[in-house]
Amino acid sequence: MIEKQDHEIPIRLESDIITVRKQVRTVATDLGFGLTDVTRIVTSASELARNIMSYAGAGVMRWFAIESEHRTGIELTFADNGPGIIDIEAASEPGYSSNGGLGMGLPGTKRLMDEMEIQSEVGEGTTVIIKKWLKK
Amino acid sequence: MTNEGIAVIKVRDVLMVVIPPEPDDETVSNLQNQILRAIEKNEASGLVLDISTVEVLDSYFARMVSETTKMVALMGARTVIAGMRPSVAIATIELGLTLGNTLTALSVDRAFDILHNASNGMKPR
Repeated sequence: MIEKQDHEIPIRLESDIITVRKQVRTVATDLGFGLTDVTRIVTSASELARNIMSYAGAGVMRWFAIESEHRTGIELTFADNGPGIIDIEAASEPGYSSNGGLGMGLPGTKRLMDEMEIQSEVGEGTTVIIKKWLKK
Repeated sequence: MTNEGIAVIKVRDVLMVVIPPEPDDETVSNLQNQILRAIEKNEASGLVLDISTVEVLDSYFARMVSETTKMVALMGARTVIAGMRPSVAIATIELGLTLGNTLTALSVDRAFDILHNASNGMKPR
Protein backbone atom coordinates (compact mmCIF):
# COMPACT_ATOMS: atom_id res chain seq x y z
CA MET A 1 0.00 0.00 0.00
CA ILE A 2 1.40 3.37 -1.01
CA GLU A 3 0.48 6.44 0.94
CA LYS A 4 0.40 9.44 -1.29
CA GLN A 5 -0.65 12.14 1.12
CA ASP A 6 -0.62 12.73 4.83
CA HIS A 7 -2.37 15.64 6.46
CA GLU A 8 -3.72 16.42 9.88
CA ILE A 9 -6.47 18.51 11.47
CA PRO A 10 -6.69 19.06 15.22
CA ILE A 11 -10.04 18.34 16.88
CA ARG A 12 -10.34 20.49 19.98
CA LEU A 13 -13.38 22.67 19.51
CA GLU A 14 -16.88 21.93 18.36
CA SER A 15 -16.21 24.14 15.32
CA ASP A 16 -13.37 21.76 14.32
CA ILE A 17 -16.05 19.18 13.48
CA ILE A 18 -17.18 21.44 10.63
CA THR A 19 -13.57 21.91 9.50
CA VAL A 20 -13.18 18.12 9.48
CA ARG A 21 -16.37 17.68 7.43
CA LYS A 22 -15.36 20.30 4.87
CA GLN A 23 -11.85 18.89 4.50
CA VAL A 24 -13.07 15.30 4.15
CA ARG A 25 -15.66 16.39 1.59
CA THR A 26 -12.97 18.11 -0.49
CA VAL A 27 -10.51 15.21 -0.29
CA ALA A 28 -13.12 12.53 -1.09
CA THR A 29 -14.56 14.55 -3.98
CA ASP A 30 -11.08 15.19 -5.42
CA LEU A 31 -10.33 11.44 -5.24
CA GLY A 32 -13.35 10.83 -7.46
CA PHE A 33 -15.99 9.55 -5.04
CA GLY A 34 -19.60 10.13 -6.08
CA LEU A 35 -22.02 12.19 -4.02
CA THR A 36 -23.53 9.24 -2.11
CA ASP A 37 -20.14 7.88 -1.06
CA VAL A 38 -18.89 11.39 -0.23
CA THR A 39 -21.93 11.81 2.03
CA ARG A 40 -21.23 8.41 3.67
CA ILE A 41 -17.59 9.34 4.27
CA VAL A 42 -18.36 12.85 5.58
CA THR A 43 -21.11 11.49 7.88
CA SER A 44 -18.66 8.92 9.29
CA ALA A 45 -16.01 11.59 9.83
CA SER A 46 -18.54 13.79 11.61
CA GLU A 47 -19.50 10.94 13.98
CA LEU A 48 -15.89 10.03 14.80
CA ALA A 49 -14.87 13.67 15.31
CA ARG A 50 -17.85 14.00 17.66
CA ASN A 51 -16.77 10.88 19.55
CA ILE A 52 -13.38 12.50 20.15
CA MET A 53 -15.06 15.67 21.45
CA SER A 54 -17.43 13.71 23.74
CA TYR A 55 -15.08 11.07 25.13
CA ALA A 56 -11.54 12.40 24.87
CA GLY A 57 -12.01 16.17 24.69
CA ALA A 58 -9.32 16.53 22.01
CA GLY A 59 -7.55 14.61 19.28
CA VAL A 60 -6.61 14.71 15.62
CA MET A 61 -7.86 13.50 12.26
CA ARG A 62 -5.36 12.45 9.62
CA TRP A 63 -6.26 11.72 6.05
CA PHE A 64 -4.51 9.67 3.41
CA ALA A 65 -5.11 8.82 -0.22
CA ILE A 66 -4.43 5.09 -0.40
CA GLU A 67 -3.74 2.66 -3.20
CA SER A 68 -3.80 -1.12 -3.28
CA GLU A 69 -3.84 -3.50 -6.22
CA HIS A 70 -5.05 -0.94 -8.74
CA ARG A 71 -7.61 0.36 -6.29
CA THR A 72 -7.74 3.90 -4.95
CA GLY A 73 -9.32 4.89 -1.70
CA ILE A 74 -9.43 7.21 1.25
CA GLU A 75 -8.22 6.44 4.75
CA LEU A 76 -9.15 8.55 7.75
CA THR A 77 -7.57 8.15 11.17
CA PHE A 78 -9.10 9.61 14.32
CA ALA A 79 -6.69 9.52 17.23
CA ASP A 80 -6.96 10.74 20.81
CA ASN A 81 -5.24 10.33 24.16
CA GLY A 82 -8.53 9.94 26.01
CA PRO A 83 -9.77 7.29 28.44
CA GLY A 84 -9.89 4.52 25.81
CA ILE A 85 -12.61 1.97 25.18
CA ILE A 86 -12.96 -0.80 27.76
CA ASP A 87 -14.83 -3.25 25.53
CA ILE A 88 -14.20 -2.60 21.83
CA GLU A 89 -16.46 -5.45 20.78
CA ALA A 90 -19.41 -4.07 22.76
CA ALA A 91 -18.69 -0.54 21.48
CA SER A 92 -18.97 -1.82 17.92
CA GLU A 93 -22.44 -3.29 18.52
CA PRO A 94 -25.57 -1.32 17.62
CA GLY A 95 -27.18 0.37 20.59
CA TYR A 96 -23.98 0.73 22.60
CA SER A 97 -23.43 4.10 24.17
CA SER A 98 -21.58 5.15 27.28
CA ASN A 99 -22.46 8.84 27.14
CA GLY A 100 -26.22 8.75 26.69
CA GLY A 101 -25.94 9.37 22.97
CA LEU A 102 -27.77 7.42 20.36
CA GLY A 103 -25.16 4.66 20.30
CA MET A 104 -24.92 4.89 16.53
CA GLY A 105 -21.38 6.21 16.27
CA LEU A 106 -19.15 3.16 15.81
CA PRO A 107 -21.53 0.50 14.43
CA GLY A 108 -23.14 3.09 12.14
CA THR A 109 -19.78 4.26 10.87
CA LYS A 110 -18.79 0.66 10.20
CA ARG A 111 -21.85 0.26 7.96
CA LEU A 112 -21.12 3.48 6.07
CA MET A 113 -17.47 2.59 5.34
CA ASP A 114 -15.75 -0.40 3.71
CA GLU A 115 -13.33 -1.03 6.55
CA MET A 116 -13.03 0.04 10.19
CA GLU A 117 -10.34 -0.76 12.71
CA ILE A 118 -10.26 0.30 16.37
CA GLN A 119 -7.13 0.35 18.47
CA SER A 120 -7.61 1.31 22.09
CA GLU A 121 -5.78 1.11 25.39
CA VAL A 122 -7.61 2.03 28.58
CA GLY A 123 -6.00 5.19 29.95
CA GLU A 124 -3.88 5.62 26.81
CA GLY A 125 -6.27 6.58 24.06
CA THR A 126 -8.14 5.41 21.01
CA THR A 127 -7.40 5.33 17.30
CA VAL A 128 -10.15 4.59 14.81
CA ILE A 129 -9.13 3.95 11.19
CA ILE A 130 -11.76 3.93 8.45
CA LYS A 131 -11.38 3.25 4.74
CA LYS A 132 -13.51 3.55 1.66
CA TRP A 133 -12.48 2.25 -1.76
CA LEU A 134 -13.49 3.76 -5.07
CA LYS A 135 -15.80 1.41 -6.96
CA LYS A 136 -14.68 0.96 -10.52
CA MET B 1 -17.57 29.50 12.22
CA THR B 2 -21.12 30.53 13.02
CA ASN B 3 -24.16 30.73 10.83
CA GLU B 4 -25.60 34.06 11.78
CA GLY B 5 -29.27 34.07 12.70
CA ILE B 6 -31.37 31.58 10.82
CA ALA B 7 -34.64 33.22 9.81
CA VAL B 8 -37.88 31.79 11.11
CA ILE B 9 -40.46 32.86 8.52
CA LYS B 10 -44.19 33.00 9.25
CA VAL B 11 -46.49 31.97 6.42
CA ARG B 12 -50.11 32.26 7.60
CA ASP B 13 -50.17 30.05 10.70
CA VAL B 14 -47.16 27.98 9.73
CA LEU B 15 -43.53 28.73 10.56
CA MET B 16 -40.85 27.88 8.05
CA VAL B 17 -37.16 27.46 8.75
CA VAL B 18 -34.51 26.90 6.10
CA ILE B 19 -31.61 24.99 7.66
CA PRO B 20 -28.22 26.07 6.24
CA PRO B 21 -25.94 23.45 4.59
CA GLU B 22 -23.40 23.25 7.43
CA PRO B 23 -25.00 24.42 10.66
CA ASP B 24 -22.67 24.27 13.66
CA ASP B 25 -23.83 22.84 16.99
CA GLU B 26 -24.38 26.25 18.55
CA THR B 27 -26.61 27.36 15.68
CA VAL B 28 -28.55 24.11 15.86
CA SER B 29 -29.01 24.41 19.62
CA ASN B 30 -30.07 28.09 19.43
CA LEU B 31 -32.46 27.27 16.63
CA GLN B 32 -34.42 24.89 18.85
CA ASN B 33 -35.12 27.71 21.32
CA GLN B 34 -35.82 30.19 18.58
CA ILE B 35 -38.38 27.88 16.96
CA LEU B 36 -40.23 27.11 20.19
CA ARG B 37 -40.46 30.79 21.13
CA ALA B 38 -41.66 31.70 17.64
CA ILE B 39 -44.39 29.04 17.83
CA GLU B 40 -45.62 30.46 21.13
CA LYS B 41 -45.50 34.05 19.93
CA ASN B 42 -47.24 33.40 16.61
CA GLU B 43 -49.61 30.70 17.85
CA ALA B 44 -48.43 28.64 14.90
CA SER B 45 -50.14 25.35 14.13
CA GLY B 46 -47.33 23.94 12.06
CA LEU B 47 -43.59 24.03 11.43
CA VAL B 48 -41.81 23.24 8.17
CA LEU B 49 -38.09 22.44 8.46
CA ASP B 50 -36.57 22.79 5.00
CA ILE B 51 -33.42 20.64 4.96
CA SER B 52 -33.02 20.61 1.16
CA THR B 53 -29.58 22.28 1.32
CA VAL B 54 -28.31 20.10 4.18
CA GLU B 55 -25.44 17.89 2.98
CA VAL B 56 -24.76 15.89 6.13
CA LEU B 57 -27.09 14.76 8.88
CA ASP B 58 -25.10 13.33 11.76
CA SER B 59 -26.45 11.91 15.02
CA TYR B 60 -26.30 15.25 16.86
CA PHE B 61 -28.29 17.03 14.18
CA ALA B 62 -30.78 14.15 13.87
CA ARG B 63 -31.34 14.17 17.64
CA MET B 64 -31.97 17.91 17.57
CA VAL B 65 -34.51 17.53 14.76
CA SER B 66 -36.24 14.64 16.49
CA GLU B 67 -36.30 16.43 19.88
CA THR B 68 -37.53 19.69 18.39
CA THR B 69 -40.35 17.81 16.67
CA LYS B 70 -41.41 16.28 20.00
CA MET B 71 -41.22 19.65 21.80
CA VAL B 72 -43.27 21.29 19.05
CA ALA B 73 -45.82 18.45 19.38
CA LEU B 74 -46.04 19.01 23.15
CA MET B 75 -46.87 22.63 22.46
CA GLY B 76 -49.63 21.53 20.10
CA ALA B 77 -48.16 22.07 16.62
CA ARG B 78 -47.02 19.71 13.88
CA THR B 79 -43.62 19.51 12.24
CA VAL B 80 -42.87 18.42 8.69
CA ILE B 81 -39.29 17.84 7.55
CA ALA B 82 -39.02 18.81 3.91
CA GLY B 83 -36.61 18.09 1.08
CA MET B 84 -34.09 15.56 2.39
CA ARG B 85 -31.54 14.83 -0.33
CA PRO B 86 -31.24 11.21 -1.58
CA SER B 87 -27.59 10.93 -0.49
CA VAL B 88 -28.49 12.21 2.99
CA ALA B 89 -31.39 9.73 3.26
CA ILE B 90 -29.04 6.85 2.36
CA ALA B 91 -26.34 7.87 4.84
CA THR B 92 -28.89 8.55 7.60
CA ILE B 93 -30.45 5.08 7.36
CA GLU B 94 -27.10 3.28 7.01
CA LEU B 95 -25.82 5.15 10.06
CA GLY B 96 -28.87 3.79 11.92
CA LEU B 97 -30.64 7.04 12.68
CA THR B 98 -34.38 7.51 12.73
CA LEU B 99 -36.37 10.68 13.02
CA GLY B 100 -39.07 8.85 14.98
CA ASN B 101 -42.58 9.49 13.77
CA THR B 102 -41.70 12.81 12.18
CA LEU B 103 -43.76 13.71 9.13
CA THR B 104 -41.67 14.17 6.01
CA ALA B 105 -42.30 15.68 2.60
CA LEU B 106 -40.42 15.73 -0.70
CA SER B 107 -40.59 19.49 -0.90
CA VAL B 108 -41.73 22.56 1.01
CA ASP B 109 -44.83 22.71 -1.23
CA ARG B 110 -45.86 19.20 -0.21
CA ALA B 111 -45.07 19.98 3.42
CA PHE B 112 -47.58 22.82 3.33
CA ASP B 113 -50.14 20.46 1.72
CA ILE B 114 -49.68 18.01 4.60
CA LEU B 115 -50.14 20.70 7.24
CA HIS B 116 -53.11 22.18 5.40
CA ASN B 117 -54.82 18.79 5.10
CA ALA B 118 -54.10 18.03 8.74
CA SER B 119 -55.66 21.28 9.91
CA ASN B 120 -58.74 20.49 7.80
CA GLY B 121 -59.15 17.26 9.72
CA MET B 122 -57.77 15.04 6.96
CA LYS B 123 -55.19 12.43 7.78
CA PRO B 124 -51.67 13.33 6.64
CA ARG B 125 -50.35 11.19 3.80
